Amino acid sequence: MEKSITEDDVISLCGKVGKILLTSGAETSRVESTVEYIGKAAHYDIACHATITALFVGTNNQSRTHLVKVQLGDWNLQKVDEINTVSRKFVRGQLDFHTLKESVEKIDRKEIDFNWPLKIIGAGFVSVAPMLLFKATWTDLSYAFFVGIIGYLGAVLAGYRIKTPYVAAGCGGFIVGFLAATLQFSGLGSSAGNIIVSALMPLVPGVAITNSFREIIDRNTISGVVRAVDAVIIAGSIGAGVVIGTSLCKLIFAWIGG
Amino acid sequence: MHVLVEFIVSLASTVGFGLITNIPRRSLLPAGITGSMAWTVYYLVLQVNHGLILPNFFAAIVIGILGNISAVLFKVPVNIIYVPSLVSLVPGGILYLGMRSFTLGQESHTSEYLFNTLTIAIALAVGFVVAEVIFYRIKPLLMKLVQAPKTSD
Repeated sequence: MEKSITEDDVISLCGKVGKILLTSGAETSRVESTVEYIGKAAHYDIACHATITALFVGTNNQSRTHLVKVQLGDWNLQKVDEINTVSRKFVRGQLDFHTLKESVEKIDRKEIDFNWPLKIIGAGFVSVAPMLLFKATWTDLSYAFFVGIIGYLGAVLAGYRIKTPYVAAGCGGFIVGFLAATLQFSGLGSSAGNIIVSALMPLVPGVAITNSFREIIDRNTISGVVRAVDAVIIAGSIGAGVVIGTSLCKLIFAWIGG
Repeated sequence: MHVLVEFIVSLASTVGFGLITNIPRRSLLPAGITGSMAWTVYYLVLQVNHGLILPNFFAAIVIGILGNISAVLFKVPVNIIYVPSLVSLVPGGILYLGMRSFTLGQESHTSEYLFNTLTIAIALAVGFVVAEVIFYRIKPLLMKLVQAPKTSD
């Protein structure tokens, strides 16, 4: 049975597995080890080098290398888990190569997602930051719940429409800044700053920057630095969006009240 | 009383981020409990030490150990527990404040916030390394307890 698997089959499957893992937000060291385990289980000596922007797969005893380009993606940890499950089954010998290939293809095509109402409620809960508990007033925090939902939705929808990188995060920041400033100027909320920081929690790349330091400590310097720079620029575009939103709101209120 | 409120809010926060980042359903609750335990530890250490490093460091140790244990118990990659439970600790808000000060041209605020971001991120990352070292000590014991075949690291 094992004879029917060619080297090219293994390499292209490994490339696909690595691509799914990288775009769904797994760490590069995990990507490399998963791919190499699959290779070993298929009786090929696979070498894999993963960075956050590209993935190289080849076998150690010949010169061909498969290069897969990867785009920085959003989190989709369910896919990481499913790939992990099938690859582990394959390594243990509970799946044969063709079933593995089919299930990887299926995972690649499948839109795995929670439904929208759940995601919206999730974004709302994230927007009530524990960091600001007992520092901001409870009314501000409850405004942040709703502002955060709208900002998150705005960012996600903008991400579907606009393909220019970083614009989606800026849109989210703009919406949050505008709404928070409106709440403050109309006298409903007491501090726009607290509402903004709290409501931005689903958007800011905090987890990304922490993961980037974990990668750097793990000696995956390239991926770590790419992630860190990406996080700083996302935060910058959010910041710019907030500044534009707040000043637009100030202008409007000066114009109405003027 | 305060501790209880902190616990509940961070639980909601972690589960919420788990929903956004689309983690498998069976890991929602373990991730939530890991995140809220870590936040409670952060809060308690913060009462004693008002720095940035120690509270984050201890919280990261809690996440590292509990996360690895629940990764073994629920058979998920450990990153799936880490990502959502980090959400209340990570310096995202401070990073945003820093970049906003940068946009507004306030240099001293910018450097202060960016340095705080760096400090927190490094404290968390070092905490994870220490936690993993501790976890590999207790892993054989845990394996004996669950009697499971070889699972994730």
